[in-house]
Amino acid sequence: MDNRNFTFMFYGFFAGWAIIGFYVVLLGLRERRLRKELDRVRQMVAPQK
Amino acid sequence: MRSKILIGLVTVAVALLGWNLYNIFMVVPDEANQGAIFRIIYIHLPTIFTGFLGFMVALVSSILYLTKGDMKYDALAAGVTEVSLVFAAIVLVTGSIWARIIWGVWWAWEPRLTSMLICWLTYAGYLMLRRAIDEPAQRARLSAVVSIFGFVEVIIVYKAIDWFRTLHPQPVLSVRGGGGMAKGMEGPIYWNLLAFVCLATAMVMIRMKQDETSREIDSLRREAHQY
Amino acid sequence: MKLFLSQALTIAAKDLRAEWRTKEALNASIAFSLVILILFSFAIDPESMPEFAGGLLWLVFSFAGALVLNRSFARETQNDCLDALVASPVPSAALFLGKTAANFSMLLAVESVCLPAFGFLFNISWWTYFWSMVAVVLLGTWGLTVVGTMFSALTVNLRLRELMLPTLVYPVMIPALMAAMELTHDLLNGQPLAGDNLIWLRLLIGFDIIFTALSVTLVDTVLVG
Repeated sequence: MDNRNFTFMFYGFFAGWAIIGFYVVLLGLRERRLRKELDRVRQMVAPQK
Repeated sequence: MRSKILIGLVTVAVALLGWNLYNIFMVVPDEANQGAIFRIIYIHLPTIFTGFLGFMVALVSSILYLTKGDMKYDALAAGVTEVSLVFAAIVLVTGSIWARIIWGVWWAWEPRLTSMLICWLTYAGYLMLRRAIDEPAQRARLSAVVSIFGFVEVIIVYKAIDWFRTLHPQPVLSVRGGGGMAKGMEGPIYWNLLAFVCLATAMVMIRMKQDETSREIDSLRREAHQY
Repeated sequence: MKLFLSQALTIAAKDLRAEWRTKEALNASIAFSLVILILFSFAIDPESMPEFAGGLLWLVFSFAGALVLNRSFARETQNDCLDALVASPVPSAALFLGKTAANFSMLLAVESVCLPAFGFLFNISWWTYFWSMVAVVLLGTWGLTVVGTMFSALTVNLRLRELMLPTLVYPVMIPALMAAMELTHDLLNGQPLAGDNLIWLRLLIGFDIIFTALSVTLVDTVLVG
């Protein structure tokens, strides 16, 4: 494989995957926050039933 | 059922991407002038097509919401726009890295790049608008309108290459009438496209599930505060 | 059709009359534009001004326009005027076109002060291709106004209106702004509208047509639901 400009190609691929990874992490964090909130609200409702 | 589909999609995506990675680096022949940086096209092109596909789905979903009034369409539009925005960001970044080598600059103010940037900004505005409105029906209605306006921008980006004299390379894919790719170079683009579409679909599904959860939280909270 | 036009004209006349009585927005816009022009004279070497003239002029117009456009629907929120307008027999499309026409006239008034001031302060002859210049100004201003009024209607009921309007409207306006800037740049530098320029003219006209059609169709959804 022609190795000219290899570093920047690597940066390119890395940037692409990093952005996707960043978004997946964001989704995961949101999931965790929502789950915690859901449990909390479910507990708020449960004793009153 | 849904989680099975999700896992299936992600597996397919990862498998395709892995196999394609081998393809991209070992099998595809070298390009004459650009060196290794040419291979960035295998991320750049598939992600932009995924992004545009997403924006198109968002448009259809927004129009469906406006005509039918079902909140499902609004949730789909929001989820798809968010994921497509991620892919659009990847396009801008990978394009910029390529440009640093080939053009010598990170950015050029030329029609295609500028219109892609405003497209991204318009849809980012869509997400900002959604966060600024609390009432669900109003939020759905107004963001649907913004989505429709945003799609005009997508069309401008797509056609910019035909209308203006741009610095951005002309289309090279055989389906767009270009003829610039040697045998064996085009295939991996489509495989990567399939992989990214699978990945995007999975992410949209996760996003929509989270939307559903958030709505459940809202209704439970309302129930809790009734007492 | 005739009823529709007369309704739109009535709304336009109402807005213009209200503005003429107080002249708040007009005065503020004109003053603001002149201040920006003066600031530009410090920012940019007058020798190289012809290079930047086209772009700067439209920047001034769009900032001045933002002042006018923000007030467009916002001023109707007091005393439930917006609810009254929406509930009236006037269709939303006529309301929208009337307001757009009023904003268009106001922005043109501001520009007709700005353009000579610009030529005077920076020694730029803008009248070389007078009618082309007029055409570009008219088309560009309509593009800005129609999109601005539409998003003004969209953001009128939001609590973060002042923030959301510029955030949403400037990206959408940019194709029209870019086209107008390119055309003005060429006209101010002695090139008539021909050959290469025409693509920008076509973009501007296309932008105006498409966004007017889209806005007129969607304004009812935005205002009424």
